[in-house]
Amino acid sequence: MSHTTETSSLGGRRRTLILFVNATVALIGGGLSVLLGAFAFGPKARAAEGRWIRAGTTSDLKPDEPVARILAVSRVDGWYRERARETVFLVWDGDRTIRALSATCTHLGCQVRWEAKDKKFRCPCHGGVYGADGAVLEGPPPRPLATIEARIDPADTSVLVRL
Amino acid sequence: MKRLVDWVHARTGYRDAARVMLDEPLPPGTGWFFTLGSVLLGLLSIQLLTGAFLTLYYAATPDHAYDSVRFINGLGAGRLVRGLHHYGASFIIVALAAHMLRVIAFGSYKPPREVTWLSGLALFALILGFSLTGYLLPWDQRAYWATVVTINVSKLTPVAGEIVAGVLRGGSTIGALTLTRWYSAHVIFLPVAVVLLIAAHVFLMRRQGISGPVRPRSGSPTPFFPSQAARDVTMVLLVTILLAAFAWRGAPPLEGPADPTDATYVPRPEWYFLGLFQLLKYFPGKWEVIGAMVVPGVVAGFLALLPWIDRGPERDPRKRRLVVGAVTISGAAVIGLTALGWRDRPASSASSDGWSLREIGGRAFAQKLNCGRCHSETGLADPLEGAPSTRGPEWIAGHLADPEMIAPGMREPTAVVHEREAAAVVAYVRRASREAYPGYPPLVEASATVFARYCIGCHKIEGDGGKDGPDLTHEGTKHDAATLRRWIVDPELVDPDAEMPSFGDRLTDAQLDAISTYLASRK
Repeated sequence: MSHTTETSSLGGRRRTLILFVNATVALIGGGLSVLLGAFAFGPKARAAEGRWIRAGTTSDLKPDEPVARILAVSRVDGWYRERARETVFLVWDGDRTIRALSATCTHLGCQVRWEAKDKKFRCPCHGGVYGADGAVLEGPPPRPLATIEARIDPADTSVLVRL
Repeated sequence: MKRLVDWVHARTGYRDAARVMLDEPLPPGTGWFFTLGSVLLGLLSIQLLTGAFLTLYYAATPDHAYDSVRFINGLGAGRLVRGLHHYGASFIIVALAAHMLRVIAFGSYKPPREVTWLSGLALFALILGFSLTGYLLPWDQRAYWATVVTINVSKLTPVAGEIVAGVLRGGSTIGALTLTRWYSAHVIFLPVAVVLLIAAHVFLMRRQGISGPVRPRSGSPTPFFPSQAARDVTMVLLVTILLAAFAWRGAPPLEGPADPTDATYVPRPEWYFLGLFQLLKYFPGKWEVIGAMVVPGVVAGFLALLPWIDRGPERDPRKRRLVVGAVTISGAAVIGLTALGWRDRPASSASSDGWSLREIGGRAFAQKLNCGRCHSETGLADPLEGAPSTRGPEWIAGHLADPEMIAPGMREPTAVVHEREAAAVVAYVRRASREAYPGYPPLVEASATVFARYCIGCHKIEGDGGKDGPDLTHEGTKHDAATLRRWIVDPELVDPDAEMPSFGDRLTDAQLDAISTYLASRK
């Protein structure tokens, strides 16, 4: 090879050039990789900013009896805005306190139903059973039903839940 | 590690491939002028990469394209990635021109490199195709209207004008079918064609060898790697830094969403098409085809035939006065036309202007129509102000006429909305999605509801309104409030020949006071 006959100073120049070329290619390639990697993994689900939504008034509810409400929630999925429907159980104590329970079973995500005759929530999928307060009574669910922030507007007794 | 590399080499022989790539023998004296091809290759690679990644989020539908681009702009790295892609397109045009001028100046297209030259010209055409198709994709006002102009220019094609325009358009109007078609061209057809042609171009370059300096120098050829490679990567690095600086400095422009009904928007082409559009202005009417097709066609034909026009072995530009002169004059013409086009380009529509009376009036109509019942912080739908809406005007008008269309069963039907009130609400919603309501005095708000409902059909204020009656922008310089009030109540009492209908029985006293005081205050 002709390089072996070059003097040592030329060999040093060659080594410097090779180092420079490799370093520059690595710099540009690395910079682009970091940028594009961040871009691809980037879209952090912005902490869903809950919004207070009107879910009827207390006059529609019976004390201590969970009532299902289907609410339309507008959700932002990246650039896509959709109106999702979500079922929420409202449990009113007959006075100033209201609780809202998610209808989503904590086991595998099926929608639970309220069985008024034995006052229990039942999941149709794998037999999960919850009490009226959402606590697990039987079956595989690992956690109680999720609670959703809820309040009664003192002005007009309408129920607001935060979704 | 070394053993692994040896193992890979034994199975693939990759070192031989690398040697073939890197040990290209270059004629002595090959220098900085010969780095432009690598700069182009580098820039095109950046376009290919950033473009591929942009498709992660882009949606090519009229309903979502704009939202998805705005979403990309909002991502941390998105601004930069889109910036690299956007400004990279301009950089490629500049690098392409520089590369081509170098080839012309050095006579590098001479035998045996004629086909290399032709493949380069084809690449040039494909890259202009990229610019044109990519420009539409953000689906903002710029994109939409530039495409309207492009497709109208394509109609000037002799004989097959309508067919060409139809192929470009996809559907009967510029819309969903146009967008998906240009998107396909931009991300599938053109990239495949460009990559294949670049491979052919580089293969031919390697097969014929680099043309080298115009006067062959003595000495033995030197390998590409590392000396010339170092020059190449230095240039690529400098250009990349410059490009990154552009991308860093600001997100590429994204105007309001495409609005086919907006008659006030003035289209502006991207800067490298300004010269061409300027040329069109000099060929009005039936001569337009000369500016749109004949002149560019002659230039393209001249470039394609250059190796056969400029025969003879001489490559020194000082001895090829005719060709160098012709190219210099053409280049000066392109630069001159671009400069003229730049100077003549219409001012961008200032969106920071105050709200129009129609928009202010629309706000009041929206309140009257009780839009806030659903469109509120605690409602079913997003609030009207402060939430970005990219719905087109037809969609909003349709929603106003029939809210059930959008949200079945979610709201009782409203009373019939008057056509002008609906138009005002549409204007208001589109404005409010861009900027917060700045607040106007009660007099302006009150007269805006009158103007946007009754006057706007015939009268203009600040460019918005009908043409049948006089422009009221400076009405206060002509009449005082009392005269105006009398006029509006019954024009024929003031002037028996008046054509304006009387409004005395349609407006309340408060409305009459408001609109006449307001008009009198417009000086």
